[in-house]
Amino acid sequence: MQPILRACDISKSFGAVHALDKARLTVERGEIHALLGANGCGKSTLCKIIAGTVGLDAGEVLIDGQLAALGSPHLAEEQGVALFYQELSLVPQLSLGENIFLGREPRDRLGFTDRAAIQRQTEALIDRVAAVAGKGFTPDARVFDLSPDQRQLAEILKVLARKPKIIIFDEATATLDRRQVEVFFDILRVLKAEGVSSIFISHRMDEVFAIADRITVMRNGETVAEFAAAETDRYAVVYAMVGETGAIAASVRDHKPLEGDARLAVKDVRAARLGPVSFTAQRGEILGLGGLQGQGQKALLAGLFGAEPFQGGSVSLDGVDVTARRPADAMARRIAYVSGDRGRDSALPGRSILENTAIASLVRERRHVVPGAVFRERFTEVLAGLNTRYAGLDAPIGSLSGGNQQKVFISRWLSPAPGLLLLDDPTKGIDLGAKGDFYLLARKLADEGATVIIYSSEDSELLSLCDRVLVLNGGAITADLVGDRLTPFELTRASYGDAA
Amino acid sequence: MSRFVDLAKNPLLISSVAILALLILGELVSPGFARGDQIVRLLTVSAILGIAAAGQNLVILGGREGIDLSIGAVISLGAVIAGNVMNGSDAAIPLAFAAACFAGFMIGTVNGLGVTYLRIPPLVMTLGMMGVIQGGLVVLSRGVPSGNAAPALMAFVNRSAFLGIPGILFVWAAIVVLMALMLKRTRFGWSIYAIGSNENAAILTGLPARRIRVLLYGLAGLFGGFTGVCVIGYTGNSFISVGDQYVLPSVIAVVIGGTSLAGGAGSYTGTALGAIALILLQSVLTTLNLEFWGRQVIFGGTLLLLMLLYGRQARLRV
Amino acid sequence: MTGLNKLGGRTWVVTAAALIVLLVINAVLQPNFLEPSVVQSNLTTFLPLVLVAIGQTYVILGGDIDLSVGAIVALVNVVTVTVIAGLGGDGTAVVIGLVAGMGVGATCGLVNGLIIAGLRFQPIVTTFATSIVFSGLALWVLPQAGMPVPEPYWRTYAGSILGVPTVYVIYVVAFLIAAVLATRPFATRLKAVGGLRTAAFQTGLELGRLRVSAFMLSGLFGAFASLCLTGETASGDPLMGQTLAMSAISAVVLGGTALAGGVGGTLGSVLGAWVIGMIGSVIFFAGLPFEYQTLVQGLIILAALAGGVLVTRR
Repeated sequence: MQPILRACDISKSFGAVHALDKARLTVERGEIHALLGANGCGKSTLCKIIAGTVGLDAGEVLIDGQLAALGSPHLAEEQGVALFYQELSLVPQLSLGENIFLGREPRDRLGFTDRAAIQRQTEALIDRVAAVAGKGFTPDARVFDLSPDQRQLAEILKVLARKPKIIIFDEATATLDRRQVEVFFDILRVLKAEGVSSIFISHRMDEVFAIADRITVMRNGETVAEFAAAETDRYAVVYAMVGETGAIAASVRDHKPLEGDARLAVKDVRAARLGPVSFTAQRGEILGLGGLQGQGQKALLAGLFGAEPFQGGSVSLDGVDVTARRPADAMARRIAYVSGDRGRDSALPGRSILENTAIASLVRERRHVVPGAVFRERFTEVLAGLNTRYAGLDAPIGSLSGGNQQKVFISRWLSPAPGLLLLDDPTKGIDLGAKGDFYLLARKLADEGATVIIYSSEDSELLSLCDRVLVLNGGAITADLVGDRLTPFELTRASYGDAA
Repeated sequence: MSRFVDLAKNPLLISSVAILALLILGELVSPGFARGDQIVRLLTVSAILGIAAAGQNLVILGGREGIDLSIGAVISLGAVIAGNVMNGSDAAIPLAFAAACFAGFMIGTVNGLGVTYLRIPPLVMTLGMMGVIQGGLVVLSRGVPSGNAAPALMAFVNRSAFLGIPGILFVWAAIVVLMALMLKRTRFGWSIYAIGSNENAAILTGLPARRIRVLLYGLAGLFGGFTGVCVIGYTGNSFISVGDQYVLPSVIAVVIGGTSLAGGAGSYTGTALGAIALILLQSVLTTLNLEFWGRQVIFGGTLLLLMLLYGRQARLRV
Repeated sequence: MTGLNKLGGRTWVVTAAALIVLLVINAVLQPNFLEPSVVQSNLTTFLPLVLVAIGQTYVILGGDIDLSVGAIVALVNVVTVTVIAGLGGDGTAVVIGLVAGMGVGATCGLVNGLIIAGLRFQPIVTTFATSIVFSGLALWVLPQAGMPVPEPYWRTYAGSILGVPTVYVIYVVAFLIAAVLATRPFATRLKAVGGLRTAAFQTGLELGRLRVSAFMLSGLFGAFASLCLTGETASGDPLMGQTLAMSAISAVVLGGTALAGGVGGTLGSVLGAWVIGMIGSVIFFAGLPFEYQTLVQGLIILAALAGGVLVTRR
């Protein structure tokens, strides 16, 4: 029999980044297929291509043996592919039933919305998840009033209502607890019995082995292995994910071990979906925050900078309390923050390079008048030190490449040098050359006495840059990897909740 | 090539060319249009609009769909307050300015608080405020014009102070210089651009975005009050809807001057040129015997056209 | 705060309560308040605002705003009276005039919608700009107030159809249109567009078409309001309806529709419009000096906006 889905030699580049390089994926009818790989291996991109939300550069996708035209999510849906959105696609103001049937409302003979049918069909869908639905999960409950778990379930029901042949679940279980995961698996099994195939991306190894029939592993945009779940074990899978050499070789870094007392002490800090978390860090240390995406790393960095203040706990730096209520507090203590989401968190579009870099200095130095000549001299020097390519300080920020923009944004914090530098996935979407400059800079700042805390969605970045990596899982620190234990193998294992 | 395109898109250049073209057109249609004293008269009218537009400029620069439609009512209020404070007495002029500016500032601050903390869309908030002020003016004045300008104030606006140029033009020139310095050379100015350009990024560089925005609306009110005093100096006495005619032109002057309605980009120098261009346009249209409706349609159309050039919303993506 | 939270989306209950209180106050102030003729005259006074508020509700539900509806009212009025007068003022002329007026309203809405949804302009500034153009055009069509409509027009409006006062017939028709629209998929989809535009987009809704439809409805209901006002004034006035847009927005907010979009409905807006009308009549009959009326009305509207935004935001 034909496989329900066959994706052959799919390639896709985003600018200079090759996200996919001849990736393959074959899914049989009525199969639960796990797609695994380290962060940034291209599995999400592959799924988006199959679901029609991202176009492909080369390769083809066959559904039921037919060449599929996947120009848009709508087209993909017509051909039976449904994507379960990790980012919610529900309208909070509408009811559960209205959301599930939005855009495909059942109608009566006069063309009016058939509310009774919505009610009935929604109830039927809810019955399938009744065991975990929880209180108030009724067809006319407003999504706004549902708990996050219930919203997740609603999202699943919305997909199910479309009666697809293939459902792609991209980290569907990330926010579910153990009991809910069981129910989710029950749903997958029901679908399987109905002949529906699922592509299942999970970051929990035990889940994969509990539910998947087959496993495809990706690495660096390529498909590197395919397993039948019953015939393999988790070690083989992890090896495939990180690559032979990566798994065996110890860290190639040559950093001398750090000695002395901790200068940064974070104690019992809490925020939504984080903590309480405690840890310390030393002068000159580059501390990585590892783990899967969305495990509290960003909340920790935002809290340290006061952008989203902690709900409890304390932070001290060199013996001084630096718990920040707002960014200006943190800045006064020489704490700096650079986000990888430049468009949202850093860029002042339409403003000059000088303004984009010098604005923080005005605040930090409490200056009311802009010392134009001083700033020009200072930032010309700083930007030159970072090998920044730009036409002039008065050119708009938008005229620079992503990497050079990021250099401008980090230069905000370099004079004077920061005591604590917080980096939130700082090299996202920037070219290799700029990345290299960035790593050099982080190391140089650390050598000069700064403490650097970096979260990265790329494990390789943490491994090559950090002295120590804290792995976060579900808002808690689940592993502290240092020295011999700081290896790709250990990092992947710890991230997937499979710590030894 | 790109340098040429950049230059062709420079709002300061466009406004200047427009001013020159309108002057030539005016002179052709009605000889004497561009005579020295005529130009001074047009500049005086432009100055009043320009000062009102300074406040509008600030709130628009601050982003978040910033706009102040209560500015006309504030101008009327300023004029009524000033007229009653002065009542023809030169000695009371400083007090008149102080009272009008203070009242404007307070009203603007309320606008700012509503916009920032209650998150009422600025246009709705200021439009609602306009209604309240107009109602208040009816109560204050009992519908009858009251108060009148002091002679020195009228001389300040209408008569030559130096070389045939009235005092208000010197004041306006000073405002242009001060606004330019403020926007380009102070932290406050940079903060305005920063919150208008990307509020989140501005907050992450330590700027108190909310407080700054409240202050911007306060300043818009202050400029409105100041304009009100100038208006009564120009007309001699006040009536309660004297400021209404400035609402729309103040927005258009800002837009002509190249300030993006999305905020974060533009300059007051541009706005000042925009005010002059607008007054010239108005005057040419009048000279051409174009009726009121035609001027309205041209105004509205100009605003729509300019929106095509500046500040459209982003396309939705998956 | 939880009490308020529970009321989010049910703000119209509060508005209904306010309406009842106002009714009682009015009944006390005006002994003949509940007489059928007085009831009818009050409902006639409120009708234009009710209609404009219904139309505005759709635009606001979709996450936009229409400031031009007041200008549309003026433009429809002058076009209608001019067409009727130009065609001689007989029955056929009146009908053609009515149709022309509605066409003008719908077209204005279409223009608003196309510019906003098609060219991605900000709705607030765009409708502000188009309102200037529309009122300019109104002045072009009819430079000064005047040009009376033929007697049958206003007689019919003030009279009755098949024994039912015409005003009530219009109310019923308007409510029917609103009720039909509320039970079509359109209503839910429009709320989705205003509620979370990205989610609506992700779900595959045709955002542009929905938003344009909402603006056209606003224009059309603006036209209905204008034709009613014309029945009342019996003549053309290019400055008609200037305050209607703002009052209608206030009515919509009072009725529990969130300014941010996505929550609410036309029923609340109707109640909101009545409340605003009643406040006016309470102020009038309470013997408040004339000068205070604008001020009190302005304050109430501003308070309603602020309160409405607070309650529905959550």
